[in-house]
Amino acid sequence: MELISDRHPLVVVVGSGGVGKTTLAASMGVLSARAGRDTLVMTFDPSLRLKDALGVGEEAKLQEIPVPLDAPGKLYASLLDARQTFDRLIQRYASEEEASRRILENRFYQQLSGTLSGILEYMAVERLFEVEAEGKYSQVILDTPPTRQALDFLEAPQRIIGFLESGAIRVALKPWFDEEGRLKAASRFGPLGRQAERFLDDVVGLDLLRDMAEFFQAFAPLYEGFRERAQAVEQLLRSPKTRFVLVSGPGEERIPDTLFFARKLKQAGFHLGPIVVNRVHPYHPVENAAPGSGWELLSWLGERDRKGLVELAKLFDREQPLVDIPLLPEEPTDLASLESLGKTVQERLAGWESSVSR
Amino acid sequence: MSILNTLARRQLVVVTGKGGVGKTTVSAVLGRALASAGRRTLVVEAAPRETLHQMFALPPSGGAIVEAGPRIWVQNLKPRQVLDDIVRERMPLEMLTRRVLDSSIYQHFSAAAPGLKEVAILGHAWRLLNGKGGMGTPQLDAVVLDAPATGHGISLLAAPLLVAEVIRRGPFAEMGSELARFVSDPQRCGIVVVTQAEEMPVQEAIELRQSLRERVQRDPEALIVNGLYPPAPPEDQDSELASLWRRRRKLNEEEMARLTADWEGPRLELPLLAMDRGPHLIKALQSCLGRDSWS
Repeated sequence: MELISDRHPLVVVVGSGGVGKTTLAASMGVLSARAGRDTLVMTFDPSLRLKDALGVGEEAKLQEIPVPLDAPGKLYASLLDARQTFDRLIQRYASEEEASRRILENRFYQQLSGTLSGILEYMAVERLFEVEAEGKYSQVILDTPPTRQALDFLEAPQRIIGFLESGAIRVALKPWFDEEGRLKAASRFGPLGRQAERFLDDVVGLDLLRDMAEFFQAFAPLYEGFRERAQAVEQLLRSPKTRFVLVSGPGEERIPDTLFFARKLKQAGFHLGPIVVNRVHPYHPVENAAPGSGWELLSWLGERDRKGLVELAKLFDREQPLVDIPLLPEEPTDLASLESLGKTVQERLAGWESSVSR
Repeated sequence: MSILNTLARRQLVVVTGKGGVGKTTVSAVLGRALASAGRRTLVVEAAPRETLHQMFALPPSGGAIVEAGPRIWVQNLKPRQVLDDIVRERMPLEMLTRRVLDSSIYQHFSAAAPGLKEVAILGHAWRLLNGKGGMGTPQLDAVVLDAPATGHGISLLAAPLLVAEVIRRGPFAEMGSELARFVSDPQRCGIVVVTQAEEMPVQEAIELRQSLRERVQRDPEALIVNGLYPPAPPEDQDSELASLWRRRRKLNEEEMARLTADWEGPRLELPLLAMDRGPHLIKALQSCLGRDSWS
């Protein structure tokens, strides 16, 4: 099984925060360019070290930046920034300057674009749509944002769509305020209406509601386009040509997360490729290590990680590719060490394959 | 005076930092430490999936406040529940409450209003501390809040100001201003940043400090560096394992040096220990914390 191949033009790297997704995504990018494919690695929040290794900085938030790699295929990298992508989308898709200005200057939008959970994930989807539509790359590797709940990423487009749908459509079609700026909905409360209206006014604060209503009214004409693109991307993500690589931390306590995510991915109809257990301590039991010593700790970590791997393997079919990557003495700092990490994953995958076919 | 003694004077201790650095573990350790110092303490986890209970060998609670030992309770919090409770309290009639809670205005508002969920989390702690938790809730001296990971963690602390600014009046607005004062008062609220001595978590810790200054106008009270490898073995011991250990420790030391240069204020260190997640680990880490006496 190839880690990166023509059969999977889109690879999505998923997993919990802090497991090394971004580094692995970059290392796959290097392998792919080496194999002669023009490749884009889309990342969210790379470390300074990784940005240095790729030779990209803040400018990658605005456009794809070529990585100085001498390879048959070209390698590009980009950084995703939710607010900038959102602003740019509104400027691009709003029918006229005035409409776009109304949205961008709305107080609710300004808070929303920074705080609504899922916005970053949703913007990743929008960005992916743009990149796919351009058709400039034969391989796209998408890193996913760090979330505690790794599944957030895949559910975000649907959630945002649901949010826009409930808000945009209802508010736009049936304004909440009458001409005097009073709440219309309150009249539906019947005999208790007056009290309820006073209460809502009191609790919700009509100022904010007005801002929200204004935002949704301004946003409504754009909404259909947002929904269509999200659906197109959802189809792309579910295509058999799109492969998910699930990255996990080592150790038994990570197993529930990994298992949960693998099952959810499959249930939701996504195509799970290899599970990569990253940063595994080497298994070197140290005999007679003094209690509380560093040797005892290192020995214990090796055992813990090995036990975790064995347990994890038991929970999946034999057909599920599962590879472990050793904890490196240091994180990759340049393109050469990224490439070597990519090769390690590739070799482990080949090793897994031959062990299964035996 | 040790940092632990200082933290034991606070009503609310917010524990924040990058995902995967051990915030929940540190929250449990601090909770235990405060309880040992005689404070009746609740540790609150604001995450959709429960893990806090494991630290005390308890079954998942499904949102209830659960006693975890002498003077210590734990809870996994669902923010929406808190908002609904506030509405319930304000409404004179149950029938009216249902109508409001079911109304589309309230549904949209509570899902979309910026900062409201975060205010609900903080507000929950504040209400419990002020004896407004309702029937059957323990009387508390302190709450340790295991906050969401950094990006979200700063939004948690900045949310009261935001809510007070966008909502302007009504009970949520009042709660926003009350909490904004609470969170920015270093006498009442302590902020503890957790990190590991690795590049990304250290970078985030430093950035978090910066945004705290900008958005909440205050500093964190302490930094806890978690999961340190032990000091490296002598150079003459040369095996693959020794070399990995040495390099990893070196990486820890480089990042600690960076913190020494870039982080003003108290810093505590917790070692990586050969123990599974659970009461033994929490107890052992608590004694490591007690040994430290930064001033």
